[in-house]
Amino acid sequence: MKLAYYPGCVAQESGRELDQSTRWVAQRLGIELVEFPSFSCCGSGFVDEANSTLNVALNARNLALAEKAGLDLLTICSTCQGMLSLANHRLKDPAVRARVDPALAKIGVAYRGSVRVKHLLEVVTRDLGVDAIAKKVTRPLRGLKVGAFYGCHLLRPAGEVGGESGEEPRSFENLIAALGATPVLYRGRVMCCGFPILFVREGTANRIAATQIDDARAHGADALATPCPLCHISLDSFQNKAAKAVGHALDMPIFHLPQLIGLALGASPEELGLPRHLVATDAALAKIGQVSVPA
Amino acid sequence: MSGELISVPIDVYRFDPSHDSAPRYQRYTLELPRHTPVLSALLKIRTDLDPSLSLRYSCRSSICGSCAMVINSKSRLACQTPVGPEVERHGRIVIDPMRNLPVLRDLVVEMAPFWGRYRKLEPHLIPDPNRPMPVDRENPMTPAEVERFKTTPRCIACGSCYSACPAVEHDPEFPGPMALAKLYRFVVDPRDGARQDRLVRIQAEGLWLCLRCHLCTESCPKEVEPSERIRDLKEMAIAVQGGTEHGSRHAVGFKDNIRERGILNELKLVRQTYNPLEALAQLPQGLKIARKKPETLHAPRKIEGQAEVEALYVALDDSKETP
Repeated sequence: MKLAYYPGCVAQESGRELDQSTRWVAQRLGIELVEFPSFSCCGSGFVDEANSTLNVALNARNLALAEKAGLDLLTICSTCQGMLSLANHRLKDPAVRARVDPALAKIGVAYRGSVRVKHLLEVVTRDLGVDAIAKKVTRPLRGLKVGAFYGCHLLRPAGEVGGESGEEPRSFENLIAALGATPVLYRGRVMCCGFPILFVREGTANRIAATQIDDARAHGADALATPCPLCHISLDSFQNKAAKAVGHALDMPIFHLPQLIGLALGASPEELGLPRHLVATDAALAKIGQVSVPA
Repeated sequence: MSGELISVPIDVYRFDPSHDSAPRYQRYTLELPRHTPVLSALLKIRTDLDPSLSLRYSCRSSICGSCAMVINSKSRLACQTPVGPEVERHGRIVIDPMRNLPVLRDLVVEMAPFWGRYRKLEPHLIPDPNRPMPVDRENPMTPAEVERFKTTPRCIACGSCYSACPAVEHDPEFPGPMALAKLYRFVVDPRDGARQDRLVRIQAEGLWLCLRCHLCTESCPKEVEPSERIRDLKEMAIAVQGGTEHGSRHAVGFKDNIRERGILNELKLVRQTYNPLEALAQLPQGLKIARKKPETLHAPRKIEGQAEVEALYVALDDSKETP
């Protein structure tokens, strides 16, 4: 399988462990990642708030690059997935086309609208299938209880991003089970991580993150896994602040989606960039009999 | 289909503050056709099994908006939710009162906070002096003008979105999805004279606390799409006043940030959103993160084709019309 690889900004910067683990997993699963050094940022939802037409145009340009190469596009971030899908959806509106197409024409770009935007979670669970993944597992994550944390933009608005279900998805849980771990169902799995207002009202954002982590723990989770690096920032990089906001320790390891897959496929913690996390993953690794990461 | 009955186990939240020390769930099991609305099931419980069950309802036709509740953890109308699919998916039906509102008894909640946050936004027409209200007849709009309302006139104020909203749950200053969708309706009303004032005020009164999680849009029984209208309000507010709050400074800053390299410069974004003192307060956390992720301290490389990105900004952002 060959896909246009859209890593997004965070995986190329503060979340490089996501890019690193994606490459490791893609290689093992036979997904060829075609690189496009000219992809721009998806706008992360913020550009859409400032100038929605510009946001669609930026993403139409990205989509056109993949289209020209005859490839569908692979995202590894719920927010990138949401923004690129939203552009695809909005470009069906002739009024949007009328504003965007002339600007694209000025840079010699035309986008027909043929590219499918797929998140790694979809590629793994739908295109490859969880049964095929289960067959590749060399180190089942037995004994580890994992809560999926989907990230809003992967799921909603369901009518626009075309996900599996806005509020009751199951693909991630099915994957967790295929990797040998036990999926944990909890309300917070489809809720917000707080990230969009981390810069607006940090205290509220921290409390929202803490609420989802507490909810997962109350349902027995040893760790969370997320297909969104922005959720990872809120849940991992700012977990110390979330703990402070609610006045108790959280100590919840947060895996990126490909890190969890990689662990089950036999990757070492270093190969997956686990030492880069702010919250130690040791306790979770110990559960699956994996040596802990040096601090 | 037809009259075939299925067994429907229903766990209903019960709480009477005047008698009970804590809420509990009560199990009722009914034999019902699978298309029976949850509301009809609850009314059957009340008439046949337990007259003490309290709930609000009226029209039974998704018009009055009184029977909003949480059904298998989703906020929605009981009259619009058939029992069959719920039982097939979850094995049972768990019914809770709406979230984010105090419980008065069983499934009946106090709606005053919902209306209170709404009233603060002055949800009524403030006539435009340049388009005088006729005193002797109606003040009609053209069909094209009505189009501006988009989805908002469909709202029945049931409160499902308020119940589903994590910003409402965690921040008392957030007006709520329904209130903001209604505000949108007045902002675009051609007869309203307070458009600018409303957009300026709302920036400071909670607009930027929306998490754009879209749970409101998902829960809305009338497809009002509140999160989309909140997004529209944000863009209009920036167009009239620019970045006055952290939220709008962040959105505008992010947009300008991407222009330079085509990819986000994470460190610079902090300075674009916060004033120097606020940025300084972020330093300890920033250093904590940078110790594990040192590349956060460096600007990323420009993307190839940044000139194309620049050209899109020139075409669509430099001479942006007010939406």
